[in-house]
Amino acid sequence: MAFLTPLAVIAAALAIPILLLYMLRLRRREVVVSSTFLWGQVLQDREANTPWQRLRRNLLLLLQLLILLLLVLALMRPYITVPAVSAGQIAVLIDASASMNATDSADGTRFAEAQRRALEVVDTMRAGDSMTVIRVGAVPEVLSPYTDDRAALRAAIQNAAPGRAAGDWNAALTLAAAGALGSEDFAAVIISDGGIDEADSLPAIPGALQYLPVGASGSNTAITALATRALPGQPPQAFAQITNYGDADADVIFSLRADGALIAADSYTIPAGTILTPPIDALPVGFAALEAAITFPAGSAYRDYLPTDNAAWTVSEASAARRAILITEGNLFLEQVMRILPAVQTFQGTPDRGLPSGDYDVYIFDNYTPTTLPDGDLLFINPPVTLPGLFQVGAESEAAGNPRVADDPRLAFVDFSTVNIRAFRQVTAEWAEPLIAADGGALLLAGEIGDRQIAILTFALADSDLPLQIAFPVLISALLDWFQPPGALADSAGVRAGEPLSIRLAGDIDAGRVIAPDGTMRPLTGEGAERFFAATDLPGLYMLELFANGEVVERAPFAVNSFDPAESRIAPRQTVTLGESTLDDQVEQTFGQQEFWSWLALAALIVLLIEWVAYHRRLNGPTLLQPLVRRANAGVR
Amino acid sequence: MPEQPLFDEKTRRSLEQLILQAAKVRAGAIKGERRSIKRGTSIEFADTRAYSPGDDLRRLDWNAYARLERPLTRLFEDEEDLAVHVLIDSSASMDYPRPETDGGSPAHHKFDFARRLMAGLGYISLTTNDRLTVTRLGGESAAPVQYGPVRGRGHGAGLLQFAAGLRAHGTTDLNAALKSYALRGQRPGLCLVISDLFSPTGLVDGLNALVGKGYEVAIVQVLAPEEVEPALAGDLRLIDSETGAAQEISMDAGLRDLYIRRVRAWRDGLRQDCAKRGVHYVEAITDAPWEKVILYDLRRLGVVR
Repeated sequence: MAFLTPLAVIAAALAIPILLLYMLRLRRREVVVSSTFLWGQVLQDREANTPWQRLRRNLLLLLQLLILLLLVLALMRPYITVPAVSAGQIAVLIDASASMNATDSADGTRFAEAQRRALEVVDTMRAGDSMTVIRVGAVPEVLSPYTDDRAALRAAIQNAAPGRAAGDWNAALTLAAAGALGSEDFAAVIISDGGIDEADSLPAIPGALQYLPVGASGSNTAITALATRALPGQPPQAFAQITNYGDADADVIFSLRADGALIAADSYTIPAGTILTPPIDALPVGFAALEAAITFPAGSAYRDYLPTDNAAWTVSEASAARRAILITEGNLFLEQVMRILPAVQTFQGTPDRGLPSGDYDVYIFDNYTPTTLPDGDLLFINPPVTLPGLFQVGAESEAAGNPRVADDPRLAFVDFSTVNIRAFRQVTAEWAEPLIAADGGALLLAGEIGDRQIAILTFALADSDLPLQIAFPVLISALLDWFQPPGALADSAGVRAGEPLSIRLAGDIDAGRVIAPDGTMRPLTGEGAERFFAATDLPGLYMLELFANGEVVERAPFAVNSFDPAESRIAPRQTVTLGESTLDDQVEQTFGQQEFWSWLALAALIVLLIEWVAYHRRLNGPTLLQPLVRRANAGVR
Repeated sequence: MPEQPLFDEKTRRSLEQLILQAAKVRAGAIKGERRSIKRGTSIEFADTRAYSPGDDLRRLDWNAYARLERPLTRLFEDEEDLAVHVLIDSSASMDYPRPETDGGSPAHHKFDFARRLMAGLGYISLTTNDRLTVTRLGGESAAPVQYGPVRGRGHGAGLLQFAAGLRAHGTTDLNAALKSYALRGQRPGLCLVISDLFSPTGLVDGLNALVGKGYEVAIVQVLAPEEVEPALAGDLRLIDSETGAAQEISMDAGLRDLYIRRVRAWRDGLRQDCAKRGVHYVEAITDAPWEKVILYDLRRLGVVR
């Protein structure tokens, strides 16, 4: 045992004032009594009877000196030398990814084990060591900046909780490396189960690296995919995938619920290390959300250590998509671009079959002019004949050069400068304005009649190199967004846990909030039309509510899933590769200093309590007992 | 000390009906109100005996002489008085509890109690025409040491004046004081000692001297409740009120119990010493009324009837 601040022994000089005070205190109060001869006899009796009397008289002084001794020892900060994990300027990176929720650890979860090991590092800090604690979640978080305050470090570690998403090791290591700048004895301690993906691209860290692996087993089965799709004229379909990452065959019960109603529950056996795609029958039409879950039959020997990936959610694709119908004799470019546009369900028809009976948001007529207009937004591409009351089609002009794009927000990112057009038709419409014009006339007309938007592209796609240009999908996307502003959510089915979500506010919608699966409500952040929601740590079904003038005008569900093989593959790794260095769990023999002044302070407190009790017994004992004694004696008399 | 009447009218009247009594009636110098064991000169006939030369011829029973032709002398009951000695301890220890005493009450003042008791006993003896001598034991005050001997109700005022003038002061060696009183050569009688008996040398020798001289002794030990069950606490330096000697104590529950046991043993020892010598012993705690000592305790012992 040695002392960190041996000079604190000077405080022992406080014993002198204590002794002086004790002597002063024993300048006894003088009381005149009628006679002292009985008191003299009493004292003789007492000293004959109790040899401890002399000690008892000084008990308070002894206790006070003991308190001082304990406090001085505590101030001197005694320590014992213990084997330590690391020393110097230490960055402790605690893996808080989804796999750290695995329950294969003796401490309960892998994260609890990681916390315990981090606390061990705190306990063995030497004098002068400083430490920072970084929680490696979806967004790395510095729980405690560099400090030597063990209490703060302990509190920071104990208050941490694991996340449900993958950890961003790149950012975390960059954060740790930043702290290492200018330090000569930097050491990073990585406490993880080894689920560090992209290990090759991680930044190199100067100084000593220490890897403390946690976790024991890789036994886990997860739902790794869940999706739905709706094809025209067919009931909606769902696709799910279950992966057994463990070393043993897993018996699972796969259940599927649509809007809370059970629609399938089947038992499967998944061999070790394989993927199962359970067949799913037709889903009910018009459902909004789908929840898949796997459970394990009672009595199954299989241990699933990570329960958080045993459920997955998705929302009906149709609920968020716009329906567009393309009526064409066949246009590969157009079909292709419509297929890749997000959140658009495209249907196709031919001019000879006329208008379809279904109800569509957008009608696209390619080289075709219908005789009657459907109820919806319209895009005419190279209309062959005049549609009375709507537009007049004139003669075909050759070689339109130098197309100019009007300064219009609808065409904000459309670059027409490199587009070449061989021929176009002279189309006139009084209600429309030319958005793109060439020397001979308008190339794109757009306008509104009533509440429907109509656009006319006056040239055939085959007569230009537009389909080969980047401007083509941008233009079609911009026009479709003008026709039918997309839903607030770009992708409602495929949000990954921990990823921020972009939400567009259209029209007079001015605010929004999200109700998380655990019932908490959070407002959207950001300004203007583009808002963000980042609290997607918890997998499950979220509900987006959009407000206009304080009233809910739109509700849209979206699903957040973990779906991360790196997190579901929970087998702990004994080595990790960071840059060019491979770390294993071999601990270099470093020695730390374990202090125990707090125990001394506690002992001093206990002795102080004893001293207090002794003092009061001595002072108040007689007066407390006096009435009882007097009453008893009065009874005898 | 506030001059208030030592006792009120009601107490005085109840005292008037009492009489002090000694177990063996002592020869009185003058006629008193007690029947003597000796034949005397009262008008109450007791017996006759044969005449012997020198007898008072006035007492010759002429009727018997005529019938029996033998001279017989009539004998009468004698009536005698009692010498009553009241000794009051006026040492400083009787001046307790003082106002500054911890938990002490002025109502428990020992010397007040003792003076009232003294005056009460003196008043009884004056009422019954006894020969009363009141003496203070010890004390270095200028007050007169002794009052009396006096006789008769008329001296009541003087007695009260003497009592009012007494002060508790100085030291008393009880043994020496009692011995010297016994040797004074006065007429022995009923001796009432009022004291707290706080005397390191004890009082056995003094009692022996008094009893040996033929006194019938009754001791009234006056103690304050604060002396029997002290309300002291903490680290104290006790100052003896008589000698000024200091005694340091650290008062706690154990010490207090020890003291209470010690006081009990001391009083038991005193009682035994007195019983061996035929001395009456009465304990008086000053939180009880002083009349109780006369009307109950001394009556029970037969000192007052």
